[in-house]
Amino acid sequence: MTKKHLKLTDISKEGDVQLDEVNIDELIPLPPPYDKNEGLKQLTDDQKVRLVNNLDGFSALALPKPKDKAEENKYIGQFVAGLKKLLSKENNWTFLQPLLLSLDYCARCQTCSDACTVYTASGKKDIYRPTYRTEIFRRLINKYAKSGGKLRAALGAGNIEINWGTISRLYELSYRCTLCRRCAQICPLGVDNALITRELRKLFSQELGWAPKELHEKGTVLQLEVGSPTGMRPAVAIDNIEFLDEDFTESTGIKVATPWDKEGADVLLLHSAGDILSFPASVIAFTVLCNAAGISWTLSSEAPGYDGVNYGLFYDDIQLARIVTKHAQIARKLKVKKIVMGECGHEHKALITVADRLLIGDLNIPRQDAMSFLEDIVFSGKIKFDPSKNNFPVTLHDPCNVVRNLGIVEPQRRILRYLCPQFREMTPHGVDNYCCGGGGGLSVMSDVNFTDWKVNVSGRMKFIQILEAFADQPGPEVGKYLCAPCLNCKLQFKDMFKYYGAREKSGIICGGLAELIVNAMVDVKKPFITWDEE
Amino acid sequence: MNIFLVALTYFAYIFIILMYAVKVIKIARLPVHLRWELYPVISEPKGRYGSAYIEDEREWRKNHGKTVRKGIIYLLKENLKFSEYFKSNRWYWLVLFPWHIGFILIIVFHILCFFGALVMIAGNPVAADSVYILGKIFYYGILVCGVISFITGAFGSAGLIIKRLADRDLRAFATPQNYLNYVFTLVVFLSGIYAWIFADPTFYQYREFWRGVVTLNPVSVEPATAAHIILFDMFLIYLPFTRSMHYITKFFAFLWVRWDDRPNFRGSKVESDIKGLLDKPVSWSAPHIKSGRTWAEIVTEKKHDEKTP
Ligand code: SF4
Ligand code: SF4
Repeated sequence: MTKKHLKLTDISKEGDVQLDEVNIDELIPLPPPYDKNEGLKQLTDDQKVRLVNNLDGFSALALPKPKDKAEENKYIGQFVAGLKKLLSKENNWTFLQPLLLSLDYCARCQTCSDACTVYTASGKKDIYRPTYRTEIFRRLINKYAKSGGKLRAALGAGNIEINWGTISRLYELSYRCTLCRRCAQICPLGVDNALITRELRKLFSQELGWAPKELHEKGTVLQLEVGSPTGMRPAVAIDNIEFLDEDFTESTGIKVATPWDKEGADVLLLHSAGDILSFPASVIAFTVLCNAAGISWTLSSEAPGYDGVNYGLFYDDIQLARIVTKHAQIARKLKVKKIVMGECGHEHKALITVADRLLIGDLNIPRQDAMSFLEDIVFSGKIKFDPSKNNFPVTLHDPCNVVRNLGIVEPQRRILRYLCPQFREMTPHGVDNYCCGGGGGLSVMSDVNFTDWKVNVSGRMKFIQILEAFADQPGPEVGKYLCAPCLNCKLQFKDMFKYYGAREKSGIICGGLAELIVNAMVDVKKPFITWDEE
Repeated sequence: MNIFLVALTYFAYIFIILMYAVKVIKIARLPVHLRWELYPVISEPKGRYGSAYIEDEREWRKNHGKTVRKGIIYLLKENLKFSEYFKSNRWYWLVLFPWHIGFILIIVFHILCFFGALVMIAGNPVAADSVYILGKIFYYGILVCGVISFITGAFGSAGLIIKRLADRDLRAFATPQNYLNYVFTLVVFLSGIYAWIFADPTFYQYREFWRGVVTLNPVSVEPATAAHIILFDMFLIYLPFTRSMHYITKFFAFLWVRWDDRPNFRGSKVESDIKGLLDKPVSWSAPHIKSGRTWAEIVTEKKHDEKTP
C-alpha cells in the first residue's frame, strides 16, 4: 500500500471527503500473539449519514452534520472570532505568551515528528504529525487574526481557507493528540505543539461551545453540578468508601475507617471518584497506609472535594479554573495544612502547577504529589514490609503529567526498588516515557468507534513497550503487574488489555502504586493484589 | 554612492535593532501565564522531586539566580552546537549547522570590523604586518571570520534549499517565503565570496569602509564590495520580517515557559499580577462561560450584583 501524502491545504477540502484512513496493516506491527490483524471498527451507514466523517474514518466527537449553509457559516464566523480572542490579553492571558512563542517561531524542521508515538505507531501518517494540525492553525491565525494577514498569505506566507471542512476536521484532529508533550520536549526551539493543540481545543470549547461530551457535559459540567463526572454525589461517595472500609476490615481483620470532613487535619486527600468506582483497591490502599502511618488526614464530602479530576486541563481554561478554585475553597474551609493528590496524573498537573497561578491569597494552599507522599510513608519506619510478598514481575508506567510535566521521577522508583524484587524499567522511561495513549482526556472518550483508535494507534507504542518489559516471561502462567499510578492511564490500560486479551495471553494486570505497597505490608496477611482484576 | 552606503548601513543597523527591541518588549510585556513547565528543567537543582514538592520560598529564591544562569549558559552552548538537532535530525543538522555558523560568524565579522575601525582610529593599523598585536589580531580575526562565514553560509543556504526541496516531509511545510529566505541568504554569502576573491582578498576595503562609517567619512570601495554591503544591509532590514528572531525568542520559550517554575508565593509580584488579570473581562461566547463578567467572577460564579466593592 502506498503511503498517502497530504498537503496542508487538504484540510479545507470541501464536503465530506475523508482525508485519510487507518489500515491495520500500515500500523507498526505488534509482536506475537498480538500480530493477528483484526479489522478496525468502521462507522455504520447510519452514523455516516448523521455524523461528520471527513478526517480518518474515526469519530471521537460524534459531531452532527450542519443542517444548512447558514449553520456552517455561523460556525465559521465563530471560529474566526475565536482565533482573535486567543490573541487577546483579556480572554487568554492564561496562555498568551506561551502560545505566541510557539506560534511564531517554529522552523518547520520536523524534528519533533519522530518523538510522537501517535505518528510513529500509525506508520508515519502525515495527518498525525505533531506539526500538521499546528502548522494549519498557525497559518489560519496569521491569515485571519492578524492585521494584513490575508495579504501576507496571498504573497506566500501560507494560504489556507477557513470553511466547514477546515473547522470540522481540525476539531476532530485536535483530539488525535494525547497532549503528552514528547514533541515539545525534543523541539530545539522550545515550540510546544501540544500547547497549540490545547489552544485549538479551547477555541472550540470557549467560543463555539464544542467539546467532547465525556469531558464537558458529562465531565466538568457534571462535576461542578453534582461533584463528579461519574455522577457520584456526596452521599454515594461516603457510602461507597464506607463499604470499602468494612469489606477490608472484614476480610483482613484490620480495622480501618476513613475520616470525613475533619477540620484542621494535616492532609486533605483528594482521590478521583473514578478510582472509587473502577479501581477501589487504590482508594482503600491509601486509607490503610494513612492510618497505619498515623497521618492526620481527611477526605471531603463536599462536592467536588471527593473527586480530584479536572478535565478542564484538557480543553477549557474557564472550567479548569472553576474546578481548581472549588478544590482550594474546600481545603480552605477544612483548614487543612496541605492537599495531597490521589493517583491521578492530570489532577497533579492541574492542581499543583497549572493552578498555582490561579489561586491567590489563602486559596493557595500547599499541595503535594502522591508519589513523595507515599514515599514518606514507606520510609517513615512506621510500617513493616516484606518485599518477598511482591515477588512477581513489576514494571512502571510513567504518567506524562507526573514525569514530563511535573518532574516527579524518583520517589515512585525508590518505593518500587525497595518493595518489588522483580521491578524492571521500560525503555524509554522517566521524562522520556511513552504516553499510555489515553492522555489529554482521550482515555475517558469512547464515542462511536474511538476506542479502536485509542488502543490501536495512540496506545500502540505503549503496548509494545509493556510487552517488551515482560519479554523474559511472556506467557500467561506468570502474573505480571503494570504499575500505573494514574487513573486515566489505568482506564486506557483497562480498555487496551481487554481489547487485546493481555490478561489471558500474557498474564498482565494493571494497578496503582499504593496497592503494591499494601500488598507488601507484613500486617496484611492475605494478598492484597488478587490478580482477578482486569 | 559612498555616502549612500554609509547611510544605508546606519539605517539597516538602527532598523534591525529597533524592530528586534520592539518585538522583545512586546513579548516581555505579555501577561504572566499559567505554569506550563516541561521536564527535565535543565537548571532545576531539586531534580529529586521536580517542581511538585511543596515549594520552599527561601530555598527557591536562594537558587533562582543560579538556575537562570545555568539555563542561559545551556542555551548559549546549544545555540553554538545545535546538539539537539545533531542527536535527532542528523541530515538536517548537516546543512542547518553551517547555515547558522555562517550567520554567527558574519555577525562576529561585522563586530570585529566595527571595533577594528576604532582600533585604526586610535592609531593602530590593522594589518598582517602591523607592529601592534591588536592590529594583527583584528586583521586575522576579520579575515578568518569573513571567509569561514561566507563559505559555510553559502554551503548551508544551498544545502537547505536542496534539503527542503528533496525531502517531501519538509517540502510539504515550506512556504514560498522560506525559499525566498534561503535564496536571499545564499546571494548575500555568495556576494561576500565574490567580493573577497575578486575585489578585496584581505578585506582591506571592508575595514576602510567601516572606518568611514564610524568617522562619517565615506571611502570608496569597488563595485563587488559595494554590492555585498548593499545586499547585507538589505538583508538586515529584511530579517525582522522573518522567523530569525527564534534565535532570541528561544531563550524566552525556555526561560519563561518551559523552565518557568516560579511559584506564586503570597504577597509576591506574581500574585499581584494574577490579581490584576483575574479582574480582566471575559468575552468568550460559549454558553457555559456566561461572559460579560471578569475572570474572578466567572470562576467563583459570583454575579455582578454580589460583587463586593
Ligand atoms: S515544533 Fe520544533 S521540532 Fe517541530 S518543526 Fe517546529 S521547530 Fe522543528
Ligand atoms: S503531544 Fe504527544 S501525541 Fe500530541 S503531537 Fe506531541 S508527541 Fe504527538
